[in-house]
Amino acid sequence: MAIETLILGAGQEVGKSCVVVNINGKRIMFDCGMHMGVLDHRRYPNFSLISPTGDFDSVLSCIIITHFHLDHLGALVYFTEVCGFRGPIYMTYPTKALAPLMLEDYRRVMSERRGEEEQFNSDHIAECMKKVIAVDLRQTIQVDGDLQIRAYYAGHVLGAAMFHAKVGDSEMVYTGDYNMTPDRHLGAAQINRLQLDLLITESTYGTTIRDSKYAREKEFLDAVHKCVSAGGKVLIPTFGLGRAQELCILLDDYWERMNLKVPIYFSAGLTKQANVYYKMLINWTSQRIKDSYPTHNAFDFKNVCKYERSVLDAPGPCVLFASPGMISGGLSLEVFKRWAPFENTLVALPGYCLPGTVGNILMSKPPKIELDPNTQIDVRCQVHQLAFSPHTDSKGIMDLIKFLSPKHVVLVHGEKPKMVSLKEKIQTTMGIPCYHPANNETVSVPSTGYVKAQASDAFMERCLKPNFKLHKCSSEELSIKTLSDKNIVPELQVINEKAALVIVEDKSKKLKVVHSDEVLVLLGEKKTED
Amino acid sequence: MQTLTSMMNEIRNPSTPKSTASSILKSLTHSLRHAPGSHPSQILKLISDLCFYHPSLAQLALDSLQSLAPQLTDPPSQLTIEYLDTLVYISGRPVELDDILFTSICLSPSFPVRLWMVRNSGYRVMVRPELLYPLLMGMTKEPYPCVREESLEALVRLGESAVFEDMSLVKGCYGCGVQLLSDNEDCVRISAVRVVALWGLMLASFNADMEAYWSNEVFAMLCSVVRDMNMKVRIEVFNGLGKLKIVSKELLMQSLSKRVLVFDQKSTTEQFVLLASNVAGALVHGVEDEFFEVRKSVCQSLRSLTILSVEFAHGALNLLMDIINDYKVDVRLEALETMHHMAINHCLELQENYMHKFLDVLEDNSSKVRYTARKIVRLVKLRDHLLFKSTIDGLLKNLDSYPQDEADIFSVLSHIGRNHKQFVDLIANEIADEVKASFEGNREFNSARMAALLVLSISAPFLNADVGPIPPVMFSFAVTFLSRIHCAFSDVMDRETLLEYLIQKSSSMVQPEININEGEGQYPLVKDDVQNVASSETVHSEININNVEGQLPLSKYNGKNVADNEMVGSEMKDPNEVGRQNKRPVHDSVVLTYINYILMKLPNIWPKVQSCSADEVLCSLRHWKKELSSLTFDSSAPADAAAFALLYLQIIKLVVEVWDHLVQNTEVVSRSVELEHKLENLDRKAKELMSHFVGFSEEEEFYILELILLTYTLRLCRAEICSRDFIFKRMTIIYLRIESLLKLRSDVASAFVVELGTLIRESSTFIGGASCSSLTFDKYLKLFSPKRFMIREAIRHRRAELSIPNNGPDYPLPFAPGLTAAIPCDITLHNISSNCRVWLRMCINDGFTQHVYLNLESFVVVSGEVRKTSYSLPYYRTPEVDSFKLKVCIGLESLFENVSPVQEHGGPKCELVLLCKEKIVYLSKVL
Repeated sequence: MAIETLILGAGQEVGKSCVVVNINGKRIMFDCGMHMGVLDHRRYPNFSLISPTGDFDSVLSCIIITHFHLDHLGALVYFTEVCGFRGPIYMTYPTKALAPLMLEDYRRVMSERRGEEEQFNSDHIAECMKKVIAVDLRQTIQVDGDLQIRAYYAGHVLGAAMFHAKVGDSEMVYTGDYNMTPDRHLGAAQINRLQLDLLITESTYGTTIRDSKYAREKEFLDAVHKCVSAGGKVLIPTFGLGRAQELCILLDDYWERMNLKVPIYFSAGLTKQANVYYKMLINWTSQRIKDSYPTHNAFDFKNVCKYERSVLDAPGPCVLFASPGMISGGLSLEVFKRWAPFENTLVALPGYCLPGTVGNILMSKPPKIELDPNTQIDVRCQVHQLAFSPHTDSKGIMDLIKFLSPKHVVLVHGEKPKMVSLKEKIQTTMGIPCYHPANNETVSVPSTGYVKAQASDAFMERCLKPNFKLHKCSSEELSIKTLSDKNIVPELQVINEKAALVIVEDKSKKLKVVHSDEVLVLLGEKKTED
Repeated sequence: MQTLTSMMNEIRNPSTPKSTASSILKSLTHSLRHAPGSHPSQILKLISDLCFYHPSLAQLALDSLQSLAPQLTDPPSQLTIEYLDTLVYISGRPVELDDILFTSICLSPSFPVRLWMVRNSGYRVMVRPELLYPLLMGMTKEPYPCVREESLEALVRLGESAVFEDMSLVKGCYGCGVQLLSDNEDCVRISAVRVVALWGLMLASFNADMEAYWSNEVFAMLCSVVRDMNMKVRIEVFNGLGKLKIVSKELLMQSLSKRVLVFDQKSTTEQFVLLASNVAGALVHGVEDEFFEVRKSVCQSLRSLTILSVEFAHGALNLLMDIINDYKVDVRLEALETMHHMAINHCLELQENYMHKFLDVLEDNSSKVRYTARKIVRLVKLRDHLLFKSTIDGLLKNLDSYPQDEADIFSVLSHIGRNHKQFVDLIANEIADEVKASFEGNREFNSARMAALLVLSISAPFLNADVGPIPPVMFSFAVTFLSRIHCAFSDVMDRETLLEYLIQKSSSMVQPEININEGEGQYPLVKDDVQNVASSETVHSEININNVEGQLPLSKYNGKNVADNEMVGSEMKDPNEVGRQNKRPVHDSVVLTYINYILMKLPNIWPKVQSCSADEVLCSLRHWKKELSSLTFDSSAPADAAAFALLYLQIIKLVVEVWDHLVQNTEVVSRSVELEHKLENLDRKAKELMSHFVGFSEEEEFYILELILLTYTLRLCRAEICSRDFIFKRMTIIYLRIESLLKLRSDVASAFVVELGTLIRESSTFIGGASCSSLTFDKYLKLFSPKRFMIREAIRHRRAELSIPNNGPDYPLPFAPGLTAAIPCDITLHNISSNCRVWLRMCINDGFTQHVYLNLESFVVVSGEVRKTSYSLPYYRTPEVDSFKLKVCIGLESLFENVSPVQEHGGPKCELVLLCKEKIVYLSKVL
C-alpha cells in the first residue's frame, strides 16, 4: 500500500498550488490554483497528468480548496467549467463566500484591463460555485464510502483550513497555507494529534525564523506614525482581502490609543465587499476579535474614512490602502507615481513581491524606476518592508511536524533552496523522511494498512483487561537494571503484557494472533505433527 | 422492592425508633447475605441512608458489611465499588484494602470499575504505596484515555501530598508523564504535563548534585510541548515552568529566542546543546499566544523564573513590555504584577526605552492597571536624573488625566521622593520656582499639581535631617495642603506628626534671602512664630523642644523625653486638667498652630487684593477654607477656634469679592444684585463674628473691629444716600469702641482707623455725610491691611443645637387648628452664659413670627458652658389648614451695636443673632 502524491503545482515554487494525492485508491485534488506571475498556459496546472483522456470524474474523488487566495483557487473554474470536472468540491464557509469575489475580481482585471482572452466568464464562476460543498471546522465529511475528510483551522486568511483525509487505515494532512502564530484578527493553526502517514506542508518561509510579532508590529507602527506626524502620506499597497484587514485593525487600534486623527482610506471596492463578510464571519477569527465582538466589531474601523479620488491630491497626511499589493498596476501604481517623488511619503511593502513588479524593484531602493521607455519615476520616498506574513516561519513548520509526528513529509509551496535546507533539518532533527518534489513529479510513500487476523481466545482475554504481572525482583536484579527502565520499584515490577502477542500463520494461510503463552503450545503441536 | 420502599420510608422518618431501625438494618444485611441477587445496590444505598439518619447504628452497619466483604468483592464488579463507596460513606474515612483485593479490582475486566479504583486510590481507598504506584503507572498504558488521564491525575494528587524516599519510584512516575506528553488525547496530555512538572521537580530535589541537571531536563521537557495545539496543555506547561527552582541561565536565555543560541565554548554544556532546540523561544511563543489564559500563565511563570537570573530577568522584561499593552486587562494586570514581583526581588531594571512604554501604562483606562503600575513606580530605583524627571512628568500627567487617583499618586511621589533624594535636590529649585509662582498667582493655580510637587519636595529630606536645596518655604506651603497630602505619608506618620515635621522643617532653616517685611511671597513658619504660638499654651513646649533637639517628630511619641515634658508642662494645673491634657497630647495645640499659621498668611496676600488680582487670592482663600473645614477635633476648644477662623476667612473672602466688584465698577444689573447680596452677607457675617464668639483678648477684639469697620466702609461705597446715615451711625459705635480699646492698650491706631475716625467726625458735622463719594472711600480702603494675628484657645464659639425629635415630612406633629400646638425640642447651648437672653423663633410661611423666651435657669449644665434641655414649646397661632411647616431656630439677643432696637411686642428687645440653622417642623391637623 502506498500514498502517491502528484505535484501539479507549487512544487519547488510559490504559486498555482495543486496536489493530487492517491490514497488507497482514492484520488483527491488539494487546491486548484493558478500562477500569478505567468501569463501563458503555464499559469494553470497540467491537468492532463491526472487523466490523459480528460475524464476527470472517474479518476478524482473530490477537490478540496484550502483558502480563497488565487494561487490556491484560481484554476478551479477553468478546471470545472472548461475541463469539465463535475465531482464535488469542498471548501470552508468563508472560502465559499469569498471565492466568487476573488474570481470575479481576477476575471475583470484580466479581461477588462489587460484585454486578454477570457478563460472563463461570470456565469462559469456561478456554475462552479454551485458544485461547492461548504464544510465547517472539525466536521467529518464522508465523501464516499471510504474517503473521510475533515477541516482544521489554519490561520493564514479568513476561512483557511488544513484538511485531513482518511481512506481505510491511511491518513494524511494537507496544510495549505497556515500560520502558527496568531495575528491581529486570526488565531493560530489548530489541529489534533493524528496518526498520519503523510503530511504535505507549505514551506514558504522554510529558512526564516521570525522574532516576536510585537517588535515587528511596533516597527511598522513607528514608521507610519513618524511619517504622518511629519505630514507625509503613507501608501500601503495591499490586496483587498486578508492583509488589508489585518493592517487596518493594527492601525485602527493604534489610532485609538494614540488619539490620532489622520484619515485612513481603503481604495478597493473589493475590500468594502469583503468587509461585509468579515463582519459576519467573526466565528472564524481569533479569540481577541470574538471577545470584543459584543461591544465592538473589530471590522467596523472607526478611523477609516470614505475614499474619493480627490484625496490623492489633497494636502496633509493620510494613510491609503491600495491594491494590488505588489504595485504591479491599478490604483497602487497610480498613487505610487504621484507620491513617490516626495521625501515625506512612506511606502509600506508586503513581505513578498514577485520579480518584475514595481514592488520588487522598490525593495532595492533605487533612485529612479523606469516603468516604460517613456515613464520614469523619481523615487524619493521612504520604503518600509512589512516584516509580518500570514505564513508560518520555519520554526512553525518544524513545530507542526513535531506535534503531528507523521511518518512522511512532503514539502510544497516554497523556493527550492529553502525547501532543501528545511528538508535536511526535518530529516536530521526528527528523523522523518522528507521530500520536496518538483512540479509534475510523483512521490510515493508507504501507507499504513491493517491486516485482518484471527485472534485466539487467550489473546482476547488478555486484551480485555490490563495485564500486569507483579514481579518481585531481588536487589541484585535491581542493580543490573539501567536508569532508563522506568517501571522499577524495589522488590516489585510491573510488566504490561499487552505487547505480548505473536502472529502465526496457520495451515490455511490465515493470520492468527495468539498470546505468547500459547506459542509453546503451538510449537509443541507443530512438533508432534512433524 | 415494595419492602425496600417501605423500609426507606421508615428510615427517612425521623420518628422511627432506634429499635425499628436496627431491625431494618438486620433484615437488610440478612437479605444481602442470603439473597445477593435481589437489589443489592438499593440495599447498600438504604444502609448508608440508615446510617445517616441513625448515626448510632453506623458501627454495627460497618461490622456487618465488612463481614460480607468476600461475597461482594469476588469477582470485582459494579457492586464491589458500590460496597466500597458505602463503606467510605458510613465510616467517613478512607477504606483500607489488601493487596489482592486491590489488584483484582484494578485488573478487573470492567472498565468503570477500573476507572473508579484509579479515581479513588490513595484518596478514598488506601493501599500500601509499594503496590499503588506501580499499578497507577501501569494504568497509564490503558487503552481508555480517561483511565490514562485519571491515573496521571492520581499520580499528581499523590505526589502533592506525600514524601518519597525512593528515587526510582519518582523517576518511574516522571517517565510515565514524559511518555504521555505525546498522547493523542488532549486530556491525557494536560495531566501528563502536570505529572512531569510535579514529579520532575521531586526528581530534581532528590539529589543536590543532580538538581541542576534534572531541573534543566524538566524545563526542556515542558518547553518541548509549549507548541501543543491544545490551549489547556499550554497553560499547564507555563504553570509548570513557574514551579522550577533552578534553571541554567543558558536555557533561560534560549527560551527567549526562537533561534538556537550559540554561547562560547566554556559555558555551553552538553546538556544545553541537546536541549536547546526544545527550549527555543518557548516563552516568546507563550507571549504571542492567541489565548489570553496562556499569556496570563506566562506572566505568572515569569514571576519565579526572573528570580533565577538577572540577565534573563532583563530579557524577560522585553517580553513583559509587549504584554503590558495587551488588549486584555487581565493580562496587562498580570504582567504588571510580575514586574512588581521583579521589583520586589530587585531584578527589575527599567531603562529609558522601557520607561517610556511603561509610563504610558499609567494612562490606562483600567484603574486596577494604573494602580498596579504605580505600585511598581513606587519601588523602582531610577538610575539617572532624566529617568527620574520623565517618571515625575508621567505621574503628573497621570494626575491630570485621572484626578480620582490623586491619593495614590501622592503616595507614589512621596515614595519616589524618599528614595531619590539626590534627584529631587537637582530639580528642587525648579519645583520651588513653579510652586512659588503659583502661590503668588503668577501662573494658573493647579492645586493638584502643586500638592504633588510639594509632596515630592517635602518627602526628599524625610529620612535625612538635611533639607538640601529645598527652600523651607516649601514646607510652609505644604502645610496648607495638609489634609490632602497627609495620606501620602500615612505609611510612616500620621497627620499631626506630618504637620509637626513640616513646621519643624520650615522653621529649622530660615534662609536669609527671604525678606519678611517685603509683604510679598510666603513666610516660612519661623521659629519665633512657633514659639509665639506655643507660649499661649504650655503644651506647645514640645515643639520647641523638638526644635532644639533637632529631632524628627516621628520619634517623638516613642521617646521617654516626651512623656517627661508633658508632665513638666502640666505640673501647675489641677489634677483633672492634667488628666485631660494627657489624653490629648498635642492634637489641639497642633490644630491651633495650624489655624494660626493660615491666619498669618492673610496679610501676605493683601497686596494682591489691592493690586486687583482677586482671583488668585480667592483661590488661596478657598483652599484654606477647605483645609479648615476638613479638620477634625478631639475637643471643643480648637473646634471653636477653627470656627472662628473659618468665619474670619469667609469675611475676608467676601471683602475681597466685594472689593473686586467695586474696583471693576461695572454697572451691570445682575452684578449689582450679586454685589448687594454679598454686602448683605458680609454684614450678617460681621455681626456673627462679634456675637457668636466670646473670650477675645483686647488685641483680637481690636483687629476684629477694624475688620468690621472695613466692611462698613465697603458698604458706604455702595450705599444709597439715605442709608448712609444709618451706616455712619453704626460705624461711629464701632469707632468709639476702638478708641476706648486703644486708650486701654495705649497703642497707636492704624492709618486706616485714624483716617476713618476723621471721616466719621467730619461726617457728623455735615448733614447726612452727603458729600462723601465712593471715590473718597477708595482711599480709606487702600489704607487697610489685615493684621497678622494669632488666636488663642480662649475663644469660645457660642452656638446652639436644636433638634425636633420624631418629626419629618412623613411624621408630622399633630395640631388642632386654633388650639396651641406643643413642639418638643431638644436644645443644647454652647458657651452661652446665664446672663444672655436666648429666644426661640418660630416663623410660619405667611411671615408671622412668634418668639419664645428660653429661660436658661431651666437648662441643665452638662459641663462648663454646655447647657441642655428638652422642652415642649407652645405654638399659639395654629392656622386653619390641614398641614403647615414651621421654621424654628434659636437666636441670641445681640447687644453689639444695638442701633436699631427691634422692640417687638413680647419679643426680644435687641436684634437676634441666630445660633443655629433653621429647623423645619412639620405639623399636620388631627383628624
